[in-house]
Amino acid sequence: MLLEVKGLRVSLGSSEILKNVSFKVEKGEVVGLLGPNGSGKSTLLRTIFGVLKPLGGVVYFNGKNLAELERKDVAKLLGYLPQEASDTGLKVKEVVMLGRTPYIHGISFKEGDLTAVREALRLVGLSDFEERRFFELSGGEKQKVMLARVFAQHTDVLLLDEPTAHLDISSQLEIMGLIRSRVREGCSALLAIHDINLASAYCDRLLLIKRGEIFAAGKPEEVITRENIREVYGADVEVRRIGGNILVIPSRKRESEKEKWVHVICGGGSGTELIRELWLHGYKVSAGVLNALDSDWFAASEIGEVIDEQPFSEISDDAFVKNLEFIEKADIVILSNLTVGKGNLRNLEAALYAAKLGKLLVVEEEEFEKRNFAGSEAAEIYNEISSSVPQSKVFKKSHELIKSLRTSS
Amino acid sequence: MRLTSFQLFTILLVADAIALIAGIGIGSSGVNFNFLESPLSEKIILDYRLPRTLLSMIVGAGLAAAGCSLQALFRNPLADPYILGVSSGASVGAAFVILFGIASTINIMLSAFFFAIVTCWVVYRIGKTETGIPVYTLLLAGVAMAAFLSGVTSLLIYISALDIYKVVFWIMGGFWTANWLKVQAVSIPILASSLYLILSSWNLNAILIGEEHAMSVGIDVEAFKKRVIAATALLTSAAVSVSGVIGFVGLITPHSMRLIAGENNRILLPASLLAGAAFMPFVDLISRTATTGEIPVGIITAMLGAPFFLYLLRRSKVAA
Repeated sequence: MLLEVKGLRVSLGSSEILKNVSFKVEKGEVVGLLGPNGSGKSTLLRTIFGVLKPLGGVVYFNGKNLAELERKDVAKLLGYLPQEASDTGLKVKEVVMLGRTPYIHGISFKEGDLTAVREALRLVGLSDFEERRFFELSGGEKQKVMLARVFAQHTDVLLLDEPTAHLDISSQLEIMGLIRSRVREGCSALLAIHDINLASAYCDRLLLIKRGEIFAAGKPEEVITRENIREVYGADVEVRRIGGNILVIPSRKRESEKEKWVHVICGGGSGTELIRELWLHGYKVSAGVLNALDSDWFAASEIGEVIDEQPFSEISDDAFVKNLEFIEKADIVILSNLTVGKGNLRNLEAALYAAKLGKLLVVEEEEFEKRNFAGSEAAEIYNEISSSVPQSKVFKKSHELIKSLRTSS
Repeated sequence: MRLTSFQLFTILLVADAIALIAGIGIGSSGVNFNFLESPLSEKIILDYRLPRTLLSMIVGAGLAAAGCSLQALFRNPLADPYILGVSSGASVGAAFVILFGIASTINIMLSAFFFAIVTCWVVYRIGKTETGIPVYTLLLAGVAMAAFLSGVTSLLIYISALDIYKVVFWIMGGFWTANWLKVQAVSIPILASSLYLILSSWNLNAILIGEEHAMSVGIDVEAFKKRVIAATALLTSAAVSVSGVIGFVGLITPHSMRLIAGENNRILLPASLLAGAAFMPFVDLISRTATTGEIPVGIITAMLGAPFFLYLLRRSKVAA
């Protein structure tokens, strides 16, 4: 392995910041260090590079004990980027040239040093910035210049302390992308990072640190769990998986036990807004019957329980019966402004059932005829629904419905 | 206006040459560029004007280089060569010797140098902690030490009664006591320290973006700080011991150059050194020819230097 940290212990003053930390970083890996403020992420990076002397433990690079090397030689192996850089009137190329310091003998540069600087600036897309003064740049540009500085150092490992701190989303993605592409070219990166979602998206492995110890290590999906986050950060979150990404979102506050269950009969995107709004306002939400991969299905499955059916198939008996069960259990049932065809005709029957139970609210943005592709049978059912639902429970817009729902409860 | 480094250094070297020639050719005994026309003028030039001009060039170059290095090292635009208490230490040293009535040129020089270097060492010991030399404790230690020592100097001045003017004149700084011995004594420490600082200019650049960044590119920052502090302490103490406390040169010269040459110490530091070597003899020339007597150089550096600096500052603001 490339970098191996063994039994690292570090104290600052009287408090122990790192307690027996051991892990490895392999070639071609991006490893993220996660943990709350003060958990020891920065201290770990600083100790690995040798800014801080550990009480115990060793850092090996390809089997070599780094503590036995000169500073200059360590700087040829590990590219360490501290979090904050002072503003300076140095030009961009002069800042990037600092990355060549370990290779300079005396005071003169070689042609190779200039090439390395130009190449690094090209990698971060700032070739035109050579002559600009560092302090004139934006936060994102400054961080890219600092990255170019580490790139110009030509090291096998990057140690980056919160490379995306204080940056806007586009700069964050750009910086993480640059780090990834550098790693693809054959080095490795160990980075302290605060943003769990960003870390999960860009890191191969994560180390979750709690008060100076590694609490969990592994692939993002193994490390980022509701339990681990609660244990390490003391925060209540929901962890969702979306298309291979992990998304940590605040757990909505459940104010009391009398939370209402709203079941939404929808499809084709007619329920997405409803589902989201209901969820935001703290209702328990379910939806059905929806064909898998329908846009409403995506929205609903992120948030609550869904009764689903195979894509592009008619509603089966099982799904229909389950839908009726949900309607019975739910406090409120909403029929969205959905389009009806042969495939989902039975959703109308389910809505009628809800109407008979007195639980149905209807969103009717357009007249039903315009949305009906299932013929007179559907029209008849809809008429029956309309006649059994009082006018006060029919709304022109989703948000009007939500408003009335909130004021009545 | 942006000059290439080649243009800048050419201009500065020409300025140095003009300063040298003017310093030798012009004096209170008249303007005379035909240097060796008579035994008298030969004596004036070789024994008096030449060592005086050379001494002012060396001192000016050294103070400018030291100021420039310390501004970078402390990342503080207000740093000057006297930040470690050199001037107040040297003043006490000079005042002591004068008070005890043993004020020969060489005694003042040795005593001032000794007190200055000891003061630096004490400030350094106070400012240093187990893990390193935090900039702010060092600066504060320097300020506190200077306050204490200027109290001591005032006391010595107060006691010395009749010799008051000697001490005050010495503190104001000047080159009227210049001779070849002084040139020989200080040229080696000042030039060697300056050379070391120029060779360190790259590391000073790294310090500009932060000490931790400097470490990350492989510089042993604490050891480097120690060496720069030692070099500037030696240089400044040597300069003060032969010329008294000449203010502003070490502060203003690097700043003026920074506005023209940019922040890169590889260019800025040698440029400041050359500019100091031109500025100082020029100011000294004014001090010895402006009136029938001598005006201490420190007065003129302040009165000329500060407005010039403000002009540069103003202009760079407009440009930006």
